[in-house]
Amino acid sequence: MVEQVNSFAIKTKNVSVHYGNKMAIDDVTINFTKNDVTSLIGPSGCGKSTFLRCLNRMNDVIDSCKVQGEFLLNGVTDIYGDSIQVETLREKIGMVFQKPNPFPKSIFENVAYGPKIHGLASTQSELNDIVMESLNRAGLYDEVKDRMDDIATGLSGGQQQRLCIARAIAIRPEIILMDEPCSALDPIATARIEELINELRENYTIIIVTHSMSQASRISQRTAFFHLGKLIEHGDTSKIFTKPDKEQTNDYITGRFG
Amino acid sequence: MNSLNKRLSAEKRFQAYGLFAVALSMFFVLILMWKIFSTGSGAFVRTTIEANVFFNPDFIQVNQNSLEKELYRASYVALADEVVRQNHPKLNEEQFIKVREMYTRKFDYQLRDYLLDNPDKIGQSIIMKITASSDLDQIVKGNYPRDVPEAQRKINDYQLSVLDKLTSEGKVSSVFNFWFFTKGDSRDPETAGIWGAVMGSLYALIICFSFAFPIGLLASVYLEEFVKPGKVTDIIEVNINNLAAVPSIVFGLLGLGMLIGVIGLPYQVPLVGGLVLGFMTLPTIIIASRASLRSVPPSIREGALAVGATKMQTVFHHVIPLSLPGTLTGTIIGMAQALGETAPLLMIGMVAFVMEIPGGPLDPATGLPSQIYLWSESAERGFLEKTSAGIMLLLLFLIIMNTAAVLIRRRLEVKW
Repeated sequence: MVEQVNSFAIKTKNVSVHYGNKMAIDDVTINFTKNDVTSLIGPSGCGKSTFLRCLNRMNDVIDSCKVQGEFLLNGVTDIYGDSIQVETLREKIGMVFQKPNPFPKSIFENVAYGPKIHGLASTQSELNDIVMESLNRAGLYDEVKDRMDDIATGLSGGQQQRLCIARAIAIRPEIILMDEPCSALDPIATARIEELINELRENYTIIIVTHSMSQASRISQRTAFFHLGKLIEHGDTSKIFTKPDKEQTNDYITGRFG
Repeated sequence: MNSLNKRLSAEKRFQAYGLFAVALSMFFVLILMWKIFSTGSGAFVRTTIEANVFFNPDFIQVNQNSLEKELYRASYVALADEVVRQNHPKLNEEQFIKVREMYTRKFDYQLRDYLLDNPDKIGQSIIMKITASSDLDQIVKGNYPRDVPEAQRKINDYQLSVLDKLTSEGKVSSVFNFWFFTKGDSRDPETAGIWGAVMGSLYALIICFSFAFPIGLLASVYLEEFVKPGKVTDIIEVNINNLAAVPSIVFGLLGLGMLIGVIGLPYQVPLVGGLVLGFMTLPTIIIASRASLRSVPPSIREGALAVGATKMQTVFHHVIPLSLPGTLTGTIIGMAQALGETAPLLMIGMVAFVMEIPGGPLDPATGLPSQIYLWSESAERGFLEKTSAGIMLLLLFLIIMNTAAVLIRRRLEVKW
């Protein structure tokens, strides 16, 4: 498989992360292909969420967290470099969290907040269009179009999570990071989100941390297996789940540990 | 089974102790309330004596065309004496003095105020309800005993006989004492009002809020959201908690030494009082505000940061609005505490005799608690009921403020 430099959304090299003296990520090198869904799997505490949060520098707020290594956005921009501000970076790399975290404001305000602070809309009607389009893409518009001014925390968990996805795509990112987005949802809501992830793949690169191996196999094209802060194996999902190279990977996906 | 019974009866005993504790404290509250209400309710009515008043233009030397200034300066003291003489004819000089004492010393002010409002009554005769003196008022209200020797009474036998005659003629009546709510302090209990103290406290609280709230909010937001925790913040934290426990009189000394002594702000004004109360409330506000900032879930901050908001935008668009109910509640409770604080006001001189209603934070004034303190020190029985009535008003304000705090919390609190 020949891989072009510009076909990678994010390239990382020799990444190590420490919390104080404790090592969380140990020398991980991984590249994420564009317009693919990449699943990060592994047992709890393996560092997959930590790694994900390094990609849009959400770990910056944790004082004890030290990140080393190379992170390149689109093969050129150093994510931790001076050439890009963290706010601009997060405009390009959106994030959806484990627990739905809509702002306790109206549904409209939730989606409109990002475009507003980045000045993406110059008029109210432009803003309305962005909000509508984002909700549409997140598959939520039909459910909420009559109650845009209702407070977002009144929505169901699944709707809240789709609202968070709409909020993330409203600022037109290139990449969306998802940190176990379905772990707080029931199976039906989970199925909707999975469907949505599949649709979003056309326009965005998606990196998703998941605990469910069946989910990883259903939605992702690439899978990376982490264990104890190390990247054990990374490759096409079909290969990882059928004939992995490493025995450890095989043990994990067949449920022998983790 | 036996041991279970033992444990169950232990619980029953514990509940009984608890019930007893609650009942005992309620009992004391009720006694306090009963005492205050039974003493203070008298302050809301005052005794008046009906009198025929003839605004004789020759006597007061003004006429219907006189300017307000002239009306203001007319000789009402003489008119007051004249009214007494006309309503109680055939008095000798000694009797006259005694009868005059039955009316308030501020008789003339009552006449003046009436004429200023109704200048067309010059040259006419009207029936007016003249306020009785405080001693007479207390006799009528039954607070002074009548059946003791004359020497032990403030009202002598002759005055009593006049009173009984007036009562039988139906001229003695009680009216609602508006003056208590509209006038400033006075040497005479019957004309003393609490409004000057209320305004003094109001100005002080406005100053206190506008000083302590922004500073407290900024300090807590900075400490909680921006600064990295370390030794310095630990020291600051300990100091803030310490300051919250410092006796209020120390803040009064600070105000006296620094604001009045060094900076040279005037003595006994609400501006200084408000600043001192602000110093006192500041730690309370910071502690409440930090607690409510901490209670905003980190996921909200993450959500805002993840869409590319700066830290400042995250804090000002999301965290502060969500923490505001808690901050405001803490602020109001702190201000309620400040409203009842007497010691700092004593230190900075807001405990003087002030008759005028303060028109601004730079006018000399007393505060509610210091006015209560002032009245409580007066010997006259009339001030005793004013003291209790003042306490009732103070309690009312405290209840209003604390209710407001609860309502704000309920209305604005976000359900997650």
